[in-house]
Amino acid sequence: MRRVGIVGMGTTKFKARWTDKTYFELAFDAARMAFEDAGIDRKRIDCAVYGIYNDFFQRQYQPDAFVHDYLGLGLKPMVRVNSGGATGGSAIRIGYSEVASGLYDVCLVLGVEKCNDCYNYEVQTTTPEVLRAILYTADMTYDNPAGRTAASGFALAVVAHQEKFGNPTEIQMAKVSVKNHYNATKNPIAQSPKVITVEDVLNSRKIVEPFKFYDNCLYTEGSSAVILASEEVAKELTDNPVWITGVGASADYVMPGNRPNIYTFESSRVAAKKAYEMAGIKDPLNELDLAELHDAFTGTEIMAYEDCFFCEEGDGGRLVDDGTVMHDGKLPVNLSGGLIGCGHAVGATGIMQTYEVALHLRDEAGERQHKNARRGLVQSIGGTLCTWTVCLVLERGKG
Amino acid sequence: MNESEREKWYAYHHQKFGIPLEYLKRDYEEELSGKVPMEAPLEVPDKMEVLYKYSFGQQSRFFRELRENKKIYGARCPECSKVYCPPRSHCSLCYQPTEWVPLKGTGVITACTVQYFTTSAFIRKVPFICAYVQLDGTDFIMLTNMEVEDVSNIRVGTRVKAHFREERHGAITDVYFRPVD
Repeated sequence: MRRVGIVGMGTTKFKARWTDKTYFELAFDAARMAFEDAGIDRKRIDCAVYGIYNDFFQRQYQPDAFVHDYLGLGLKPMVRVNSGGATGGSAIRIGYSEVASGLYDVCLVLGVEKCNDCYNYEVQTTTPEVLRAILYTADMTYDNPAGRTAASGFALAVVAHQEKFGNPTEIQMAKVSVKNHYNATKNPIAQSPKVITVEDVLNSRKIVEPFKFYDNCLYTEGSSAVILASEEVAKELTDNPVWITGVGASADYVMPGNRPNIYTFESSRVAAKKAYEMAGIKDPLNELDLAELHDAFTGTEIMAYEDCFFCEEGDGGRLVDDGTVMHDGKLPVNLSGGLIGCGHAVGATGIMQTYEVALHLRDEAGERQHKNARRGLVQSIGGTLCTWTVCLVLERGKG
Repeated sequence: MNESEREKWYAYHHQKFGIPLEYLKRDYEEELSGKVPMEAPLEVPDKMEVLYKYSFGQQSRFFRELRENKKIYGARCPECSKVYCPPRSHCSLCYQPTEWVPLKGTGVITACTVQYFTTSAFIRKVPFICAYVQLDGTDFIMLTNMEVEDVSNIRVGTRVKAHFREERHGAITDVYFRPVD
C-alpha cells in the first residue's frame, strides 16, 4: 500500500440552516476552498468519494450525481458512501483506499448534508420532520413503529453503562457539554459556541433520560472536503502534508439482539484497535496528542474514551473529572467543539473532524491551536447503537 | 376478523395513507376474509413521506421569475461565456460566479421520444412527448414538458417556444413548450 496524505481541505461554516444554498451549492463552496488550499483546480482530481447520509434530507435520491456534476468533475469516477453518522469517516476510508491501492493519485473526499429543509408546518419548526427522515434509516418493521429516535437509542446504551459501572454521572456528562460548547467559542466555523455552566446543562429541558437539551448535538447544515494524494504527489503539492497512518473500521450487528451487551460499542473497539495497530500505537493516551471523538451525545463521548482505549472499560467518567480530556489536558478531546459545539452535518461531520485534527497538525488552528500536535485520532460513528465506526490516525508531515 | 373489525381496518388505512376506501377493499378483501393461510406472504399498505419547506438556494430567482414575470433566466459565466439553463450560481468549469441573463424562451428539440407508459403521477397523460430542448442563447439542453396535440409531429430540429400556465407555483412545471407555428 502507498502512503496517503491530506494535501488540501476546506469547510463551510456549520450552522442550523443555509437558506441561501442548496446541498450541491454548499458542496461547491467546500470543494472550492479545498482546491484553493491545495493550490490545484478540478482537473487535477482523479476520482471523488462523496459522503452524504440521508436522501430524504437532501430531497434527492442519488444526490452524489448532482454534486459531481456541479463540481465540474464529469467523466471522473466517483462513488457515494452512506453509513449514518459515520458517513464522513467512511468516505475518507474509501478515499484512502483509492489512493493507497495505487488506482488513483488524487482523490477528493467531500461530505455534505442539508437536513433543515425538512419542515413540520404544524409546529413551524424543522426538528420533528428531520427526526422523521432519520427514522426511515432505523429498522422499518420493528424499530421505526416504536417512535425511537437517535437520542433514545444512544440513551439506552448510556443507561446500560451507568447500570454496569455507575458512570457516566449526570455531572460528568454536563462537564463534557460545558467543555465542548466552550471549545466551540474558539472555532470560527462552529454552530453552537457558548460559555455555559454545569448547572445550565443540568437545568436544561429533558430530551430523553439521562440526556438534557445541552447533552445533545444539534442538527447542522454544512459541507467539508479533504483532498487526498499519494506520497509522491503530496510532496509535490505541499511541504506541510498530513499523513493518514492508521485506518480502522468495523460494522456491528444492527439488531442489538446479536450483541453480547450494549454498554460498550464493540465496533468502536475493533476500529480503534485496527487503526492503532496500523499506526504502531500501543498506548493511545500517551502516544496521541489530540482526538476528535463522535460526541453526538455527552454520554457517548465518555463511552468513546473507553472504546478508544484511553482508559479501562468503565473508567471513562474519570477522564472528565481529572481534566485529561479538557482543552489544556493531557489528551484534549474535541477542540473543534465536537458535534455538540461545532455541529453535526452528518455526511460532513467525519470530514470536519479530520479537517480539525489536520489543522492542528499543520499548526493552523489559530486561537485553539494545540501546542505540540504531532499525532491525532478521529473517531466517526453512526447507526443504531453505533453500527459503524471508522477510526483514523493522522500525523504531521512537517518536522 | 369480523365485519366490524374489517371496516375499522379499512377506515384506519384510508385515514393513515389517503388510499380511497374502494381501492383498499379491492386489494385487501381476500386478505381480510380469513381464508389466507397464516404462512402466506402478508402484504400491507405503507408509504414513506417527508414534508419540506425546501429552499432553491442560489436558483431562487429562476423560479420567482417564472412565477412572477413569466420569464426564463439563464446564468452566464463571465470567464468562458457559457450560459447555463438550468441556472447555477457558479460555472462548474471555471468556478466563477455566474450572472443572470434573461432568455427568449425559444429553442430547438435536440432529442425526443413519445412516452406510452410512465410513473403513477403522470399515468393519465400518456401518450406525451419527452424531449431535450436547447434554449436559444444557452449552451445546455434541458428536459422539458411538451404539450402537443399530435405527438407524431415532433422530431429533432423542431423549433419550440415556452408557454406559461395561467396558475403558476414557482416550479419548473409553470412552463411548458409547444412547437412554433
